[in-house]
Amino acid sequence: MNFSVIELFALAMFFIGFYGLITSKNVIKSIVFISVVEMAVIIFWVGLGFRAGMVPPIGEFLEHDMAYIADPLPQALMITAIIIGMSVTAANIVMLITLVRKVKSTDWDTIKSSSENAT
Amino acid sequence: MIYAILGFWVLTALMMLREEKVGRIIIYFGIYSLVAAAALLILGSPDVAMAEIAISAFATIFFVIGAEKYYNLAYGTDIAQEDKTTTEGMKKKSGIKKHIAPLVFTLFIFGLVLYFVPENNPNPYLKEQYITRFMTEMGGENATSAIYLGYRVYDTIFEALVLVVAVVAVLHMSFFERTSIDDGIRSDIQRSGLAVFIIRIITPLILIFGIYLVVNGFLTPGGGFQGGVAVATFFICRYMIYNIFDLPIGRILRMEELVFVSIVLFAIVGIFLGTAAYVPSGWLVHFQHTYLIIMNALIGIKVACGFTLLFYRYAGIERLEGDER
Repeated sequence: MNFSVIELFALAMFFIGFYGLITSKNVIKSIVFISVVEMAVIIFWVGLGFRAGMVPPIGEFLEHDMAYIADPLPQALMITAIIIGMSVTAANIVMLITLVRKVKSTDWDTIKSSSENAT
Repeated sequence: MIYAILGFWVLTALMMLREEKVGRIIIYFGIYSLVAAAALLILGSPDVAMAEIAISAFATIFFVIGAEKYYNLAYGTDIAQEDKTTTEGMKKKSGIKKHIAPLVFTLFIFGLVLYFVPENNPNPYLKEQYITRFMTEMGGENATSAIYLGYRVYDTIFEALVLVVAVVAVLHMSFFERTSIDDGIRSDIQRSGLAVFIIRIITPLILIFGIYLVVNGFLTPGGGFQGGVAVATFFICRYMIYNIFDLPIGRILRMEELVFVSIVLFAIVGIFLGTAAYVPSGWLVHFQHTYLIIMNALIGIKVACGFTLLFYRYAGIERLEGDER
């Protein structure tokens, strides 16, 4: 157990999103909390090894202290993760519209009972 | 400073957790994304912050359109007149089984993570290698851009593939037959002269800013993703001003697929020819900047096509339902 404060914030946010996912009874709320969990993961990765006064990794760093430059590798990976998360959200919302067109509700219990009645 | 912003971030999520109305949850989600982008900027990553701001604007638009469809379809009411009878499934349920058990389960897993994850002292070896060598090996001045266009270009190709798959899935699952017609329906925003006036002023600035982000992405914060999303915002503004629906969706999809194939081909060309660090003589000396600019431009065109398609498809769903009513 050796986390920095930023990593603890990100972990707490991850589990807030997890709690919202397993307790929400509405489909739109579930989709929103999937995005919340993604954002927590992004903050966790970018905040790894953060120190106060870090500079972005842009420009030449010939005489700069290496410990105070932000790590560029998680940033490059997280830009990719943001676009993939947006793709997942768009697909989720179009699935939501298809579901509402059939069931006329966004309550998980109503959807479950109507699918049981259909089969 | 960073702790205050992160505290406000957690507070926003807690507000979202106890909120019962769908419209307010979407507004809280916009605030949440903006606060997260501010935190990312302070954490020393302006590229990710810019991507997060642009993407969260799009996500909020998509959530609003999806929720509006849900209210119109399921209840026949507007989202602005949401009352207690329409927020089904959002009521707090009392009792141990509904409320306490998930909380205990979540806290249990949180405790397991805190206890069993080993010590993480991030190893700075790879960071130092990248930062000291990217300017001679890949060119440009933005280390992030150099990594996702050079060292880890396979990740970028895979991400572009995922975006193509998502666009195709949205096109397939939205049952909208007509692709490019002007059906003469006026949207509500045209009744507001002030909104149209302001959008007319800022629209060319948005387009110039997007192109600037794409072309200067290897020198400054920005790049293909962020600039592509800004260019897609230009098309949303175009839809809002003129309210015409004449984009040929099939052709844009084909163009996106062709651009994706050209991204793969150009990356392969870049790998085989090498950049100036590997082939440092002759006519290939200036290949580095050419490679970075062309890859950024291709990714920008691809992302702009994808997000324009997504937005116009959602707008098409909205119009189709309007016709049926």
